[in-house]
Amino acid sequence: MRLLTHNMLSSNIRGVVNGFPLGIEAEKVVEREVELSAEFLRGVFPKIEWGALVAGARALGHPDLLPGEADASMLASDDFLRRFHRALLQLHVEEGALVCPETGRRFPINKGIPNMLLHEDEV
Amino acid sequence: MAKLQRGEGEGGDLEKLRKGIAESYDESTGAWEELFGEYIHRGFYDTPSAAPGAAPLTAQDHRRAQLRMIDEALAFAGVSEDPEKKPKKILDVGCGIGGDTLCLAKKYGAQCIGINLSPVQVKRAQELAQAEGLADKVSFEVADALNQPFPDGQFDLVWSLESGEHMPDKEKFFSEMARVAAPGATIILVTWCHRDLSPDEESLRPDEMKLLNKISDAHLLPAWCSAADYASFAKSLKLEDIRRADWSENVAPFWSAAVQSGMTWRGIISLLKSGWKTIKTALAVSLLIEGYNKKVIKYNIITCRKPK
Repeated sequence: MRLLTHNMLSSNIRGVVNGFPLGIEAEKVVEREVELSAEFLRGVFPKIEWGALVAGARALGHPDLLPGEADASMLASDDFLRRFHRALLQLHVEEGALVCPETGRRFPINKGIPNMLLHEDEV
Repeated sequence: MAKLQRGEGEGGDLEKLRKGIAESYDESTGAWEELFGEYIHRGFYDTPSAAPGAAPLTAQDHRRAQLRMIDEALAFAGVSEDPEKKPKKILDVGCGIGGDTLCLAKKYGAQCIGINLSPVQVKRAQELAQAEGLADKVSFEVADALNQPFPDGQFDLVWSLESGEHMPDKEKFFSEMARVAAPGATIILVTWCHRDLSPDEESLRPDEMKLLNKISDAHLLPAWCSAADYASFAKSLKLEDIRRADWSENVAPFWSAAVQSGMTWRGIISLLKSGWKTIKTALAVSLLIEGYNKKVIKYNIITCRKPK
């Protein structure tokens, strides 16, 4: 699971008011190189919850990878684009869990796939 | 509104149904992929499909028809290819092994997510995305269409092609799709429904219900509603530009593909390797064909837009 995906997932347990962003327990993180597309990054930037991305990068062991805040003007910088790209697309949580911010409930990640199914009593 | 619901309903049956569906697809996905490729849905054909004496349709024809189904659905809903207006974030609900998800990612250059109950299929989908160089644009999760793990208003296009059949609560299923759709987004639902009821009917006829129940048992299809029901959900959710059509005639030739493939040695061996559940499902195709011929079952498209 990449942080791009994490940026879109939330806890939908019944009763939870704000299930985003999910915490990350990263037990196994791998980095896979993928080609950088400035166009893609510029297109996706407005839709990214920056705080969640920063928290995600920290949880994956890269606390200094991203600036605490970002705005679109930074997309002109190659260095920023590389960091953004790396955080968003290259870091993968292979094993671990996503954690509901309100209930602490863990959604397991196995072989890179998050399992977001709720139990009967959570719907 | 009349809905045909299965006898079981709430409670522990939800997990049982989800597990049944997941296991069924876990088990059969290999066979299906071998027989039909990565698109786990029907093809779209012109009607009348063949003039007398025309050559029978080939596997290539059927595959082309499957791709055409995607295009026809997008065109029906009026999804724009204009760079400003095209969808940038797409959700595929009940994504199989990601055939459609990948197709949509390529078509629009969009970021796509597919959700599915089957971990085996999700894994396979990720492999295919990787193989096609789309792993950066497309991701897949094990998740429930009835309780989607997304905040509201995420997606510009919400897509469900032949997965609606498995949803035990059609209204919840539809309202989740509407919830995660962004303002201005398009929702596209292509699914088997039972026929619309006429104004003086409260439910299907007993013989029709009997057939549907048999089909439901065989195929893990826990509930049925009509296209009119979906349109009325859309209306009650204040969705706009509600369109629908009956494409039953346009998918008819796919039955022969299913039967043809099943009857080849490759097909039979595939089925045998998959296990009893898959074999049962394959045998029950004849029930679906019966339902289709008796016009109890219809293949419908329903599309609408979330207001801006």
